[in-house]
Amino acid sequence: MDTAARWVIPLADATDEEERFVGSKAARLGALLRAGLRVPSGVCVTTAAYDRFVDDAGLRGKIHMELGRKPFEAMRWEEIWDEALRLRSAFLAAPLPAEVATAIRTALAGLADDEPLAVRSSAVGEDNAGRSFAGLHESVVGVRGVSAVLDAVRVVWASLWSDAALLYRHELGLDPMSSRMAVVVQVVVGADRAGVAFGRDPRTPAADHAVVEAVPGPCSDLVDGTVDPDRWILARATGRVLEWRPGERQETTGARMPLLTRRELDAVLAALHGIESLVGWAPDLEWGLQSDQLTLLQARPITAAADASDPRAQYLRLRPGLRRLRRLAARVAGELIPALDAEGHRLAAEDLDRLDDEGLAHAIEARAATVLRWKDIYRDEFIPFAHGVRQLGRLYNDAVRPVDPYEFVGLLRGEHMIASRRNAAVAALAADVRRQPALHPILRRIAGGLVSAHASGWSASRDEIQHVDGGREFVCSFESVIRDFMDVTYGSERLAAHPGWLLSTVLELASVPTPADHAQFDDCAGFAAAIPAPSAHDLECRLLDAVGPVRHDEAREILALGRLSWRLRDDDTLLVGRLESQLLRALAIAAARMCITGRLRADASVTPAAVPVLAAALRSADVIADLPTPDRPAHPASHRAAEEGSRQLTGQPAGPGLASGLARNIRGPADLALFRAGEILVCDAIQPAMPHLVPLAAAVVERRGGMLIHGAIIARELGIPCVNGVADAVDTVANGEFLIVDGYLGIVTVGTPDFDLERRGSF
Amino acid sequence: MKSHDEPLLGVPDEPTSATRSEALVTSIRRLVAGEAYAVLCTQGERQPYGSIVAYAFGDDLSSGTFATPITTRKFRLLVECPQVALVVDNRARFPDDMMRVESVTVTGRAAHLAPGPEREFWAARLITRHPYLESFVAAATTALFCFDAVRFLHVVGFQEVRQWIPPRAG
Repeated sequence: MDTAARWVIPLADATDEEERFVGSKAARLGALLRAGLRVPSGVCVTTAAYDRFVDDAGLRGKIHMELGRKPFEAMRWEEIWDEALRLRSAFLAAPLPAEVATAIRTALAGLADDEPLAVRSSAVGEDNAGRSFAGLHESVVGVRGVSAVLDAVRVVWASLWSDAALLYRHELGLDPMSSRMAVVVQVVVGADRAGVAFGRDPRTPAADHAVVEAVPGPCSDLVDGTVDPDRWILARATGRVLEWRPGERQETTGARMPLLTRRELDAVLAALHGIESLVGWAPDLEWGLQSDQLTLLQARPITAAADASDPRAQYLRLRPGLRRLRRLAARVAGELIPALDAEGHRLAAEDLDRLDDEGLAHAIEARAATVLRWKDIYRDEFIPFAHGVRQLGRLYNDAVRPVDPYEFVGLLRGEHMIASRRNAAVAALAADVRRQPALHPILRRIAGGLVSAHASGWSASRDEIQHVDGGREFVCSFESVIRDFMDVTYGSERLAAHPGWLLSTVLELASVPTPADHAQFDDCAGFAAAIPAPSAHDLECRLLDAVGPVRHDEAREILALGRLSWRLRDDDTLLVGRLESQLLRALAIAAARMCITGRLRADASVTPAAVPVLAAALRSADVIADLPTPDRPAHPASHRAAEEGSRQLTGQPAGPGLASGLARNIRGPADLALFRAGEILVCDAIQPAMPHLVPLAAAVVERRGGMLIHGAIIARELGIPCVNGVADAVDTVANGEFLIVDGYLGIVTVGTPDFDLERRGSF
Repeated sequence: MKSHDEPLLGVPDEPTSATRSEALVTSIRRLVAGEAYAVLCTQGERQPYGSIVAYAFGDDLSSGTFATPITTRKFRLLVECPQVALVVDNRARFPDDMMRVESVTVTGRAAHLAPGPEREFWAARLITRHPYLESFVAAATTALFCFDAVRFLHVVGFQEVRQWIPPRAG
């Protein structure tokens, strides 16, 4: 059969034999339609249309470029999301081939007269007994008009390359490059109740049970988990109700009546049996009920998807819908962050020195439990809420269709994160030093002595500083910054316990007139016209214009959620860091007591892993605290062998700009004080302990990738070039190497390009 | 490697026959259309240098375009010395049959394009052939070059070399 020109076919013509052409969802809906079951009428935009679109628009090359940037295993979620965002934008910007658009237009003319339509994915091999992509690909429901359908088809096609779909394919060992997508366009049938049903209970397939779940309103509310369903377990053969559990829904008052009558349950069960006898397997069915009219929305084989261990569930959890985001926003901003902040202050205020050994042991264990509890909350609630900014990016890109898919980040400019406040406070300290020249030499001397010392060294130095003009005020401000912002950890060290590290950075900042002047920015003027970045207000107007007045409230809500998510994403890390720091403070006091009594070596490694050992030693004078000595990290490759090494590294262009300078690797806390103005900050990732270094940097190079990670956020706020996602950045680049960082293209050039070696002819 | 293994500069054009000339140009067009990447040869600091580039030609093959980041060695050499060669070949298609390998060495001059209509024209040309390079070409640190193709040296059958000098407007 010549499929080349069959861009769109009636849904009833979609068959299993042509699954590669119509995708699994369309093939199954076609079978139901042909069997006379009630399925909304529709058409299938075939994979031939997808192939033609992708080829004509040159998208295959873009996909190869994105996916070939680095090995999939080496990418973090953020990088995969970024790739998916760029591909989605490319799909939306690409025109549909004229003949495909015409075919869709013609097919729609016979389908609906301005009725709302549902545009759904039907990927090849999407669903079978071994796997289910349910929820991973996109559906656009309530689409009106040809132009909107053409857009929605591209959105659905693009979802073949969504982060969740890519991760799931990787998990299953499927090659994403061989994936193809057909699209089902169907009339939307209204439903006052809807739900899912399983021909066999997925949790106990051997039992002769069927399961029906129902929610008021559309099925999407159930599928994305925003509404808790009523749930029935039925005997397959007789339909007898074995169990009924009412859903927990807020709208209910008084006694809860089941959402489905006996007759309606029988109709769903009959549909399950009918499909099973038709296709030969017990189905996972989505259905809708309008009055007493049952409509079948889709049927797929039951998979292990209901199993909590299924990775798909994790990917879906990390993509909260608007309703879940609202709930998360209320909980994270209204309850969790204030509680976390209060917890940190409470622990910091506790006078641990006054506790006896038993009390200290108890405090250590309580702090360790607190840290664990908040790390769970971080994983389960903070991280999903951090995805709120992605919802904003999606809304903006879909509505505005900007050339730069990250234009929406400008909407987040000026959000006052803790890291920004900390940088401002450190900059103010530097300004104090500049205003009081007498302070500089004494601080320089003290910093030199303190760098390797602890807070005790600071106590001895502060009196000396206070005798200098402006010294008293400086000490007051400095200690306030340490207390408010430096109570975080890095590599099992408390920054607050090392004031010399901060003092060195302050002095370095004081040595440059303004934060940006130190950097050796290279001139790329003349290569492209410099376009001033639009203000957050301009971008907001652009968004509101694009969505139109009808969606202003929705856009404003998503904008507010995105901004909140953006700000808290940074704050929560720092606040959890304070808890870890406070655990380390308690452990350090315990370690000091053990050392005095000779039960712990002075060079022992006191990390959170020491909690049980130190608590036991505090409780019993007979116990020796046996802790390992710290690993001295071998820092190889300070200088790479001259005959082998990278000349140009690629990563993600995460902060625009071009700068050059000498590399400074930050591998651990002791490196913080070594950072000098104008150097290129090279690190694994900008840790919560590092943002105050960024204003000194000419550019930032990170191993961890992503446009929305801490380093990229801070670099962009400061206008500093940033390239991230550079594999093994710290091990590849040696301290002191000359780097050119191209934050427009994501390229780091190592060393000075010359032909000295060739001229010497020394080979 | 003997010197005559190389395409010989200055080889006189074959006795002109309209048919042969058309066939040569057709061969060159086909090769250029089939191979999306070329080796760009630059020189400077008394050192030849080669880099693979994505390229596109104009309709009459008398000029073409490629792009490079401004941080690269080839950019620095191009600024220093505009005389370049571009080698297009299909050797990857015939790994075990050298006699079927075809190449063309294009010699000429490259000029860095400043923002303006000419840059836009060549940028569109390059992006049309390489759509995935759109953001690369648009980046502030990407330099777009236009080169005049002064001479084409077409090589087939190991050593058979023919020259074509594209006519220039005006």
